[in-house]
Amino acid sequence: MAERGLSVRLAQAGPIPLDAALACAPGEVLGIVGPSGAGKTTLLRAIAGLCRVDTGRVVVDEAVWFDSALGLDVAPHRRAVGLVFQEHALFPHLTAMGNVATALTHRPRAERPIRAAELLRRVHLEGLEDRKPAELSGGQRQRVAIARALARDPKVLLLDEPFSAVDRRTRTRLHAEIAELRDGLSVPMLLVTHDIDEVVRLADRIALLDRGEVRLEGATSQVLESPLARELVWGETAALASRND
Amino acid sequence: MNPEVGGIGASGMDWEALAVSLRLAGWTAIILLPLALLLARALAFHRVPGKGVIEALVAAPLMLPPTVLGFYLLTLFAGGAPLGRAWAAVFGHPLAFSFSGLLAASLVFNLPFAAQPMQRAFESLPPDVREAAWVSGLAPWAAFWRIELPLAWPGIASAFALTFAHTMGEFGVVLMVGGSIPGQTRTLALAIYDRMQAFDYRAAGAMSAALLAVSIVAIALVQGLSRRVGRRNG
Amino acid sequence: MIPTRRATVAAIAALGLVGQARAADSPVVAAAADLASALPEVAAAFQRRSGKSVKLVFGSSGGFTQQILAGAPFEVFLSADEGYVAKLARAGRTEGPGELYAIGRIGLFLPDGSPLKNDMSLQDLGRAAQDGRLTRFAIANPEHAPYGRAARQALEHAGVWAAVRPKLVLGENVGQTTQFAASGSTQGGIIPLSLAAEPEVKRKGKFVLIPDDYYEPLRQRAALIKHAGPTARAFYGFLQTPEARAILATYGFALPR
Repeated sequence: MAERGLSVRLAQAGPIPLDAALACAPGEVLGIVGPSGAGKTTLLRAIAGLCRVDTGRVVVDEAVWFDSALGLDVAPHRRAVGLVFQEHALFPHLTAMGNVATALTHRPRAERPIRAAELLRRVHLEGLEDRKPAELSGGQRQRVAIARALARDPKVLLLDEPFSAVDRRTRTRLHAEIAELRDGLSVPMLLVTHDIDEVVRLADRIALLDRGEVRLEGATSQVLESPLARELVWGETAALASRND
Repeated sequence: MNPEVGGIGASGMDWEALAVSLRLAGWTAIILLPLALLLARALAFHRVPGKGVIEALVAAPLMLPPTVLGFYLLTLFAGGAPLGRAWAAVFGHPLAFSFSGLLAASLVFNLPFAAQPMQRAFESLPPDVREAAWVSGLAPWAAFWRIELPLAWPGIASAFALTFAHTMGEFGVVLMVGGSIPGQTRTLALAIYDRMQAFDYRAAGAMSAALLAVSIVAIALVQGLSRRVGRRNG
Repeated sequence: MIPTRRATVAAIAALGLVGQARAADSPVVAAAADLASALPEVAAAFQRRSGKSVKLVFGSSGGFTQQILAGAPFEVFLSADEGYVAKLARAGRTEGPGELYAIGRIGLFLPDGSPLKNDMSLQDLGRAAQDGRLTRFAIANPEHAPYGRAARQALEHAGVWAAVRPKLVLGENVGQTTQFAASGSTQGGIIPLSLAAEPEVKRKGKFVLIPDDYYEPLRQRAALIKHAGPTARAFYGFLQTPEARAILATYGFALPR
């Protein structure tokens, strides 16, 4: 287990069975793939503090966020976590600027508008700061969601199928942008996805999750070429990836 | 026949009764809405034990005939009952047949009108929006104030409009618990009844028109706001 | 500084949340509904004389008795009979046994267009109940309205109670009963003489007095409720003055003594 970065060990019997251990180093992108219902989203939510798992431990940069043995469970708003939801989950009544600024409460008031503008620039949304989510395209909304997650100055970045609701062309463009972003980030990143292109493009390592267990873990190309991956991942993801075209 | 009762204008409108109705509706809203909001939110977001029972109790005043409600409340509030006696000890008169008794009854019979629209509004908030608020660093109170409340406010405004209109129009319970005392418990709805019995149809008509107008405005407001709840959280 | 209980109560009262215990400036008078035409005039005369005003609430005598027993803040009670006042006196709610202030009378009212005949012996009423001319007849509820009780007695005395009973529409008080009788939704009813004189009622139909020996006299008694204030007392006394009695007489009330 790495000393810095993310270290996770979680187990529960239900409602979604889980028995997984993972580690992710700072600046590393760990892709999490597997069939639906494998527990990928549950894993991410547990790391964010949105759901409670029976037993386990979540440690980020030596800060313990969850430890069932000690009865410790830090509330999500106290974890410096950035989470990009599948359906962006933007605040409908706030502008793009407002959405990003919500995550900046840990910064002094005077800094917030500057930092928010900077983040929106990084995701190529300058000029659109005053638009509400309803006035943005799907791809633009996800960018705002990413900017908001980054605004938190997170110690770990979690992306839960962030581009599955977006069409293929936009998705390809967003991949490029994420790749560009991650070079400037030095935090562990977990990417849950069904899209093989995405995982090939962005992930350094992959963990293959099935029925709550990590069946295989290692370098992206190695895992993807394994017989297990062929069985669990390829069959399904081919079908899912073509759904949004 | 001369209308001896005070406060009647040339049109026949009983301004005193209107004032009682407005005070009742106003105070009901001020006291009930925050309480109902807490209840509605708890029912929407938390796994409350006995949730089904609580929701049934909240809905009960909708189903109960007003006279049944009035009967039980009067029994509770009357000078002989423990609650009535305790109140009389502090304030010098029983809870029944007083404005405060009316207000207490109003808090009960308006509960579904206040709580249900708000519960629906909270339930219609996409759960991941609340979660996004938390992971963005907002503590539960800040998330409530800055995210949940602005998104749920059409439901809250609906609750206010419904409660207000319903209180203005309530008759059976008000008559039984309040006794139609001019200036204290004679609401506009009761004044209409009183004027009818005195064959003063002109006054009854003027006041009925006023109440009808209130109801129409309230309905229009509620319908407009319900559409906004749907659109907003889309 | 901890506010005194008095101060707190006063503050809450000022907010309009809690009413005053006794509205000494304008006490509430509970009166039987048959006084709905006459009493406002009496109250106006009282105001001219004394400069003070009272608030009037009309309803059934039985209903008010219940409310007073439950602590309703009425200061004077004008019943349509003696029994209800006696009941309150026994329960210790009145100051003394009260006083007779009027004697009421009932009659048959037939709205325009009614197929019934103006028969004060009520025999035609009985025939109408049998031959189908009568489908709905209004009286006050005998259970809690003395005038309703008198109506029942009159119908029984005339021997038509059994025939008419299935057609009865019961008014909660005589005011509502008069509404029913005059509105045209019934073929007629038994209402107080005092309300028959009301212009709105008069122009809607015909009224004929029922003979006094058909029913027990409606001896109407008024009582002062315990802890009544000075204005209430003054009004109670005013009821016995020649001026008040003259007003009541114009509405058909016979006077005691």
